[in-house]
Amino acid sequence: MGMFAGYSSGLSFDELIDKCGQPRPYAKVLVDAINDLGPGEFERRQALADLSFVQSGVTFTVYSDSRGTEKTFPFDLIPRLVPGSEWKSIEAGLAQRLTALNLFLHDIYHEQKVLKDGIIPREIVTAAAHFRPEFIGADPPGGVYVHISGSDLIRSPDGSWQVLEDNLRTPSGVSYMLENRAVLTRIVPDIFRNQRIRPVHHYAAQLIANLRALAPDGRDNPNVVILTPGSFNSAYFEHAYLAQQLGVPLVEGRDLVVADNIVYMKTTHGLQRVDVIYRRIDDDFLDPLTFRPDSVLGCPGIVNAYRGGNVALANSIGTGVADDKVVYAYVPELIRYYLDQEPIIGNVETFLAWRPTDLEYITDNIGKLVVKAANESGGYGMLIGPKSTLAEQAEFVDKVRANPRNYIAQPLIELSTAPTYVNGDVDSRHVDLRPFALYGRDGRTTIVPGGLTRVALTKGSYVVNSSQGGGSKDTWVVDTDTTPEVPNAIA
Amino acid sequence: MLSREADACYWIGRYVERAEATARMVDVHYHTALESNRTLFAWSSLLSVADAVEAFASRNVPMTDESVLAYFCFDQDNPDSIIRSWTAARENARTIRDEIASEMWEALNVTYLELGRWNIQLLLRRSPSTFFAYVKESAHRFQGTLDRTLMDGEAKEWINLGRFIERGDQTTRLLDVKYHDLLPGLKQAQTLQGGMHQEQHLAAPDPYGIGGPLDEHGWASILRSVSAFEMFRKTHRDGITPVNVVDFLVLNARFPASIRYCIGQSTQSLTRIKAAGATPRGHEADRIAGRLLADLTYTRANEIIASGLHEFLQQGQERINTLGDAIAQEYLTY
Repeated sequence: MGMFAGYSSGLSFDELIDKCGQPRPYAKVLVDAINDLGPGEFERRQALADLSFVQSGVTFTVYSDSRGTEKTFPFDLIPRLVPGSEWKSIEAGLAQRLTALNLFLHDIYHEQKVLKDGIIPREIVTAAAHFRPEFIGADPPGGVYVHISGSDLIRSPDGSWQVLEDNLRTPSGVSYMLENRAVLTRIVPDIFRNQRIRPVHHYAAQLIANLRALAPDGRDNPNVVILTPGSFNSAYFEHAYLAQQLGVPLVEGRDLVVADNIVYMKTTHGLQRVDVIYRRIDDDFLDPLTFRPDSVLGCPGIVNAYRGGNVALANSIGTGVADDKVVYAYVPELIRYYLDQEPIIGNVETFLAWRPTDLEYITDNIGKLVVKAANESGGYGMLIGPKSTLAEQAEFVDKVRANPRNYIAQPLIELSTAPTYVNGDVDSRHVDLRPFALYGRDGRTTIVPGGLTRVALTKGSYVVNSSQGGGSKDTWVVDTDTTPEVPNAIA
Repeated sequence: MLSREADACYWIGRYVERAEATARMVDVHYHTALESNRTLFAWSSLLSVADAVEAFASRNVPMTDESVLAYFCFDQDNPDSIIRSWTAARENARTIRDEIASEMWEALNVTYLELGRWNIQLLLRRSPSTFFAYVKESAHRFQGTLDRTLMDGEAKEWINLGRFIERGDQTTRLLDVKYHDLLPGLKQAQTLQGGMHQEQHLAAPDPYGIGGPLDEHGWASILRSVSAFEMFRKTHRDGITPVNVVDFLVLNARFPASIRYCIGQSTQSLTRIKAAGATPRGHEADRIAGRLLADLTYTRANEIIASGLHEFLQQGQERINTLGDAIAQEYLTY
């Protein structure tokens, strides 16, 4: 087994190596190729890859770091594999979920049948931090709210997949998915041989096609732009990268101006009309006239231009109500309600603190649970019970009791692992998977095969967020003639 | 393109050129001083070229090789230091990564990372010329990558415009200050030619006097500061005289650091920017650039010297500044 000798994933499901220490059928070619490279050469290639990320400046900014320095997102050379047969269900499951969530959003901002039918309590929706009652009745192009999403998937010890959370506002990470693949093919072409790995690079082409389709009627050659908060934003690299890949301008709020309800950008050729904005700014900062008056990141008047149908926004305003962590718990019900189908991918069991019985359970069992604030992301505002002190637990119990609507709890899932190159050795580390889905104006979902695999680089850690010491891997959807020996891969 | 992006391109051009010009100038001064044994004189003159006499004095450190080299290369409080210039170029590039080719960004980023590993001790230990050569090569790598990867169009022209405006400004300042340094020798020359004022102290052979080895050394070092020495030799075979140097560095139509050449390139870039569809909100930039170019084209070197080179260069520098302001106002701001 060469570099994988003695490898063990403990209790977790491992993505590449089975419990007997043998490569899974779809991972055999890869494991052999890595062993052929050998430890010395592998080490050298890993160093090359690290250097390549530093030199090309593929970085994110860490806010808590007072120097505001740019850091590279650690990249592990050993890819994470998903067999094509499983991918088929993942793809179907995510498309189903995204379709239901878009129907939910349309309903919430129009008839609100789902509330009238009692599928989800009204107060859960109206109290969601990102619910925008001002937009009830507004009609985005094609009735579509979420065009770009990235849901986080995890795998339990029994090999089944679950959705951990939905990201329906401005999900990030797709640039790393694309860049990881580009770097890997360049640095270790050897491991790609004799395999059928599905490509990912068509993401940009599909995204620009979908965005162009959102343009207001009669705008035949629309101007699409990406709106960024600016170079100090943690995801700025991604914004610039996407603009480059899409061939569209990367604008900041100060580059835009609204006149007569039409959005323009300030160019050396004079003012030019903007038709579609892929915005990477949260609702709150989009327009100081409508939302936070102190925001200088957005552009005054943009919301009225949007309401008037003169400019399209992706994603639309108010999508955050659907990725609220409390609303999350109802998504399986929403799929049944809107599509009359059983969810293909399930949720993680979730306790909602606003329900008195769940609250009791959470406070009694806090040491076993993961507690999360409903509207935080990036690994902030959460407590991992088994890894916390009694004092931290007591503090969280107080927080939850003070504001039960804002908290949920889930059992700690033993996330799956993948072999990861750490300090000259191949060792197991926990991973998750964020596939990136695009939802077209016509209701068609496109998901590039794979996604961003995030890896918790500290042994035993479950926190994969880039801001908390996580790294990433390339994700391969591999087609083999061998049927993967994963029973009940999708529940 | 977005006005903000055009502005960033313009400043990338200026900052990369500024880093290179600083490296060249400090390099030549350092090495000239070594030979002529006039280090202090060389340093204070260099500080005047860079308009940094007061800024340096406010640091209250003795003027030594180490302190002056550190000031020009690594000082984070000196906005024109090599490290600050390069960082600014890279920051500007970071905000327009979508407009320029990835390889251009990488060329800037790799040097930025490398410069972060240097400091004054390392520079002195490894010999300063290694460092300056690296900075110059980095600027050339950037330019070469640009030539090879960036489409003809506005981004390229804005970078070019920044580059030549900065270079013209640098040559103007260099010549002004160095001419001032060499003035005593020049006055002597005029006196001698006039055959009057025989009371000049010529009894002892003055090494700095006209025709003395150090005088020629001084003029040659000006030329070397802008890599003009060899090209000058080819153009003016009758030797290094003040008129010839002024002719070459101010009025030559083909030398890439002469003021006329820089202004000529700038006007061409402006023309191409307009051809690409840009719509300036006025014609001041065109007017200033055109008029300056005409003056540089139809003036003779001896006329400039007769009416005062210093005044001519001072005016030239003001006109270049005004041109920069007019470009910003008419093309880049709303």
